[in-house]
Amino acid sequence: MNDYDVVVIGAGLGGLSAATFLSSEGKRVLLLERQGVPGGYASSFTRGRFEFEISLHELSGLGNAQDKGPLLRILEAAGVAQRVEFLPIPEYYRSVFPDVDVTIPLGRENFEEVLCDRFPGEADGLKAFSATMFDFADEAIRANRAGMKDVAKNPESYPTLTANFGRSLADVLNPLVHDEKARGVLGQAWGYYCQPPSRLSFLIYALGTVSYIRFGPWHIKGKSQALSQAFVDTIEENGGEVWLNNGAGKILVADGAVRGVLAEDGTEIACPVVVSNANPVVACLDLIGADQVPSWYLRRLGAGSGGASTFNVYMGLDCPASEVGLRNHETFVNTSYDLDEHARLMRAGLGVAPAEAAVTLYNAIDPDFSPPGTSVVVLTLIAYPDPWLELAPEHYIDAKNQVADRVIGLAEASRPASGITSRR
Amino acid sequence: MPNRGPLDGLYFANAYVNIGGGYEPSIFSGYQVCREVMRDMEGGGRDTVVMDRIKSQLAEQAGDAPEVDGTAVESVRRAVRYWHPRRVALKVDGIRDETPSTRTLRMVAADPPLPGFRAGQYVNIFVEVDGVATSRPYSIASAPGEPYFDITVRRVPDGFVSEYLLDRVAPGDVLESTGPSGSFYHEPLMDSRDLVFLAGGSGITPFMSIIREAARAKPAFEVQLVYGSRSPEDIIFEAELKELSERHPSLTVDFVISEPPPGWKGACGMLDAGTISELVGSVEGKTFYICGPEIMYMFCADALRSLGVPARRMRREAYGPPADVTREPGWPGVPRGAEFEVTELRTGRTVRAGAVEPLMNSLERAGIVVPAVCRAGECAACRTRLLEGDIFQLERVHLRWTDRHSGYIHPCMAYPLSDLRIRI
Repeated sequence: MNDYDVVVIGAGLGGLSAATFLSSEGKRVLLLERQGVPGGYASSFTRGRFEFEISLHELSGLGNAQDKGPLLRILEAAGVAQRVEFLPIPEYYRSVFPDVDVTIPLGRENFEEVLCDRFPGEADGLKAFSATMFDFADEAIRANRAGMKDVAKNPESYPTLTANFGRSLADVLNPLVHDEKARGVLGQAWGYYCQPPSRLSFLIYALGTVSYIRFGPWHIKGKSQALSQAFVDTIEENGGEVWLNNGAGKILVADGAVRGVLAEDGTEIACPVVVSNANPVVACLDLIGADQVPSWYLRRLGAGSGGASTFNVYMGLDCPASEVGLRNHETFVNTSYDLDEHARLMRAGLGVAPAEAAVTLYNAIDPDFSPPGTSVVVLTLIAYPDPWLELAPEHYIDAKNQVADRVIGLAEASRPASGITSRR
Repeated sequence: MPNRGPLDGLYFANAYVNIGGGYEPSIFSGYQVCREVMRDMEGGGRDTVVMDRIKSQLAEQAGDAPEVDGTAVESVRRAVRYWHPRRVALKVDGIRDETPSTRTLRMVAADPPLPGFRAGQYVNIFVEVDGVATSRPYSIASAPGEPYFDITVRRVPDGFVSEYLLDRVAPGDVLESTGPSGSFYHEPLMDSRDLVFLAGGSGITPFMSIIREAARAKPAFEVQLVYGSRSPEDIIFEAELKELSERHPSLTVDFVISEPPPGWKGACGMLDAGTISELVGSVEGKTFYICGPEIMYMFCADALRSLGVPARRMRREAYGPPADVTREPGWPGVPRGAEFEVTELRTGRTVRAGAVEPLMNSLERAGIVVPAVCRAGECAACRTRLLEGDIFQLERVHLRWTDRHSGYIHPCMAYPLSDLRIRI
């Protein structure tokens, strides 16, 4: 007799989502979370009179009642979307370079029009790139539904997909668009995908970009914490349980199969299925024990490398949003055009000045984001793990302050182009 | 990487860096896992064909990589343990009398090393007094980097915990605390170089940490300490502060006495606008830090506002429940002696709670443990869901928007106004 059908370890989005859908299917679910709030990155924190959004910049895949995106469909089916108010962001992003200031609008026609307007010499190439991107995304979605076997059997039904599969963004863009400024604007959101244009899979770029342009970027009233809480409320209403302040200590295994979980407070739980939102290295080495995990899996993990994260400066400003000098929710500021070079600088070490940062003004889409007369701006840098892992813990605070000072300086220095004002 | 893990019954949901951590793919990962779990459950177990394909695919991707070892994870864990341990075991190494009503407990790590902290932070110390488990936050008075934490305790009239720490703790005793916490420290990115510390009574302790740290190295700021006490014998660290100010031109110290004995030659009165203005002169460009008894916060903040100090130049340490909640703005006039029944769903227990005592204190007296760190309404460690009933919550409590809208309260600063049903 099992205590639960499924134990989910970790209430990040992956765990919240798995627990929600499994409990919707009638499974008896227990979600274990070490922290006192659900959400992981999808949450907020307070400092003084401010509440800061930890991670959410722009939510994709939603759309609206007239044109529902795939994410909205599954969240509505689960009863989660109905608990949350989504806030529309009226443009994709603003891209500021020394000689360029372009705001990417929503809708394919607007997207092409704005870019061709700004880079008339590249109009043909831009339209060809846009067509490739939209056709590719369209075919990829059809292929996902029909199955990859259909693509192998009928490649002529998927011409753009088969022609560009396995190529990078740069592979597709650069032969069509030659102006480095236009390339910079189009590749600007590479940080969202953590790979610069020469390494970013065109599949991922196309699906993401098309989703944002067609369905729009969105935010959430109450910040991502509202979405995480909506998942928790849904799980509980479905009869599932969520234990906070009580993570998993061990995954119990017998004869090569899961048999249960030992919670941090010592409770032993019997279950035939465990879903881990905790990363597989920790799950295999700490929760299970390397001696219980097959060598081929541990070697596959050994072949992986640390992915990128972000470095964020959360700023609560004592002026209203109108005085910050920005109009948009998401503005990228850059000192140069070569995005691959930006990525290289970010790997190079903590002493190197960053060449680009995302500047997010949350009050632009939610005037109640912070108390009256104040505003919140978050500066985001893509951060690769190696320089930080090499740091001795005692030096962490000084290193953080130096990097933060540099990225604030970058945002301030962008003023002639971006309009950002500051007073320190 | 596939969602199905290497053991029967084990799955990973969004456990890998997933396209830069976008919300849509993260939520879809959990959705896919649900489908795979359902398929496997309905099929009476995993499809061996599927698992063989996964195994050969991953083995091929592994190439000749060695099995993953825990190096990167251990490096992160070391940094997290240094800066954010959940619990610290502190052993009393020595006790020193400071004033007739104050002692310093010098604590060393029972399990070295001590965690790092920023000068001005506190730890919440857990005690069990006459069978009641509770805790109180105390600022660390010593400078960061020492092999000890100095916890300076002043006797509070009818103070449950202070009496225990002053009279019943002896060298060799081990006490447990949270990791260092709080945001009452100098923030070089935002605070100016000219600092004014307004200290009252035992509120001197966080300032001692900052001053002692600045005295060791070339300070990045100038400090003027204005320290109010009732009488000269109440001044804690008087000799040390005088000596440090004589040795360091960047530190000036003014003692202000509110009940001066005959012959007292220094400043007199409360830390009001007149006293502050006289001692500090121009407030231009200065950042003010306030730490002291409850009454001090009210008139200090007003005083600084009347002198034209903007909000961003006022830093206040969190302080706990008021001595008399019936005098707080908004108190609904419930009779002092009113008592209510509180049913707590996680423990299944029903306890009595008085209207003029914080709910957390009543729960602790009844033997119910509530997670606690700041006990001042701002850290959300104690967040608890109010399912039925009314409470009075102090204005200065910082709740997340979502928590406020979902019926969560912070019991450390919440008072029952009716019978309650809650869930910790």
